[in-house]
Amino acid sequence: MLKYIGKRLLQTLLVLFIVSIFAFALIHMAGGNPALLLLPDGASDEAIKAMEHELGLDQPLYIQYIQYMIGVFQGDLGMSTAYKIPVADIIAERLPYSIKLTMGTVLVGCSLCIPLGIIAGSNRGKPVDFFAMFFALLGNSMSAVWLAVLNVFVFSVWLGWLPSMGAESFSNIILPALTLGYPMAAEITRVGRSGMIDTLSEDYITATYAKGISRRVVNWKYAFKNALIPIITLVGMSIGSYLAGAVVVETVFAWPGIGQLTNQAVGNRDYQLVQSLLLVSAALFTLINLVVDIINSLVDPRVSLE
Amino acid sequence: MDKRVILNRMRRNPFFVVGSIAAVVVIVLLVFGPMLIDFDPEANSLTERFLPPEGFSKGLDGHILGTDQLGRDVLIRLLIGGRYSLMIAFIVVVLQVVVGTILGILAGYFGGIVDSIIMRACEVFLAIPNLILAIAIMAILGTSLVNLIAVLTFSGWVNCCKVTRNNVRVIKNQEFVKASRVLGAGGYHIMFRQIFPNVTTHIIILASQRIGMTIIIEAALSFLQLGIQPPTPSWGNMISAGRMYMTTQPWLVFAPGIALMIAALAFNFLGDGIRDVLDPKRTAV
Repeated sequence: MLKYIGKRLLQTLLVLFIVSIFAFALIHMAGGNPALLLLPDGASDEAIKAMEHELGLDQPLYIQYIQYMIGVFQGDLGMSTAYKIPVADIIAERLPYSIKLTMGTVLVGCSLCIPLGIIAGSNRGKPVDFFAMFFALLGNSMSAVWLAVLNVFVFSVWLGWLPSMGAESFSNIILPALTLGYPMAAEITRVGRSGMIDTLSEDYITATYAKGISRRVVNWKYAFKNALIPIITLVGMSIGSYLAGAVVVETVFAWPGIGQLTNQAVGNRDYQLVQSLLLVSAALFTLINLVVDIINSLVDPRVSLE
Repeated sequence: MDKRVILNRMRRNPFFVVGSIAAVVVIVLLVFGPMLIDFDPEANSLTERFLPPEGFSKGLDGHILGTDQLGRDVLIRLLIGGRYSLMIAFIVVVLQVVVGTILGILAGYFGGIVDSIIMRACEVFLAIPNLILAIAIMAILGTSLVNLIAVLTFSGWVNCCKVTRNNVRVIKNQEFVKASRVLGAGGYHIMFRQIFPNVTTHIIILASQRIGMTIIIEAALSFLQLGIQPPTPSWGNMISAGRMYMTTQPWLVFAPGIALMIAALAFNFLGDGIRDVLDPKRTAV
């Protein structure tokens, strides 16, 4: 068990190390001189040289990389060229919004659809199963772009119930959470249903029926737990990816999370910010996946043996 | 698998029937539709801005879905934009499958260090959420059709690679592979002539399911102005532009939105249908 966790931890660190090199290389391919962007227009050559020296741009690339990574471990992610403040401060300001939105989304996704998936899976071929499958396929086919716009049209423009942008009050979170939550709910329904179908065909379930245990108890007490494992994985991965930035939805609803920040950073050509965002996104995403794997190996010891 | 069994399953699977009919209708409309309509998708006509949809009251000569903020016919833009979306999705999925399959076969067949390197690469790509990776790369490479296709391929080959690799690891230990090695077959022959035909089922399933997904990701990138650039139409950038006029000219966002939904739905239905028809697990049921 501990060996498994240690192995996964090492793997995660290796992946993050490669991501950091990748992000660093990508941003250097973009070119441009960050020193020029940080200085006012028409700065003298000496000032540019001084700034380059201060930022370490006169060093060879691998030294620059090492310095960047030393900074990262000290909580210094560099200076944003567009906002002229430390990247770490910007991310720290935006991250709570991403966390809030993610929590809302997970609430929407899980509350509706874990029961729906389980019921559909245990009533295969019945009308409720067909409804669940249709709901799931529709959710998979709804792009965030169209669903976001549709939600704005229905709930803000037409009904006038909810605000379409901003992040000040509770009502602001409802539409973005619904927009992100629906595809997630659809996926949960699907995974829960197929998990349930797989589990119900196992021999030990037949054995419980043979013992005379009622269908309802078998479904919810025995099969449900096993069908839950893929759902945990899915929810975990979704949490990771929403924390790392739900770009489209945050942009449409002007929700100031990591996703909107990424889009803005790209628009501003703020490459230092983009580089650090790539790293932070990957770190959030992989660390959450690591936690999910550990939870899974606790729920189902077979996982760690693979 | 027997062809008759597959045909029979195809006929009886509602997802497959609905999906394939819808997909064929979408493709036919996008390929032949623009030939019937006599408007330029990119030329402005400022006297004809914001004409409401006329339906078929003037036959095919009127603005069936109205005009946009620059006086361009919405229907022709919808159809041309759809052509781009679909063309990109097909090319991207084919490239993803080619890259993913080759790397997957190499990783699965050789194992050891080759496997480690390819699998670590997969993990790195899995570590950065798809859209974030695509956005960062597009921002740096610049927006062009070739870059768009490259980025979409780049961010989506991993799935195919992992599935193929796992399949190959199982298949390479089977007796027919050993037999062919005893007969003196080389690595290339074993990988691509002996093993490859045995992993095609999973590849077809994966590919068919990725088309809808790719259409959606491309729309998201175009929506964020990192995909297809105006004035060239695409569903994503039409939604992005039409969003400003939602209260007064809702057809500008509804037309591309509904088109996007129908196309994605058609290909997702088809993908699910193909999975149900081909999935080896279901043979027992």
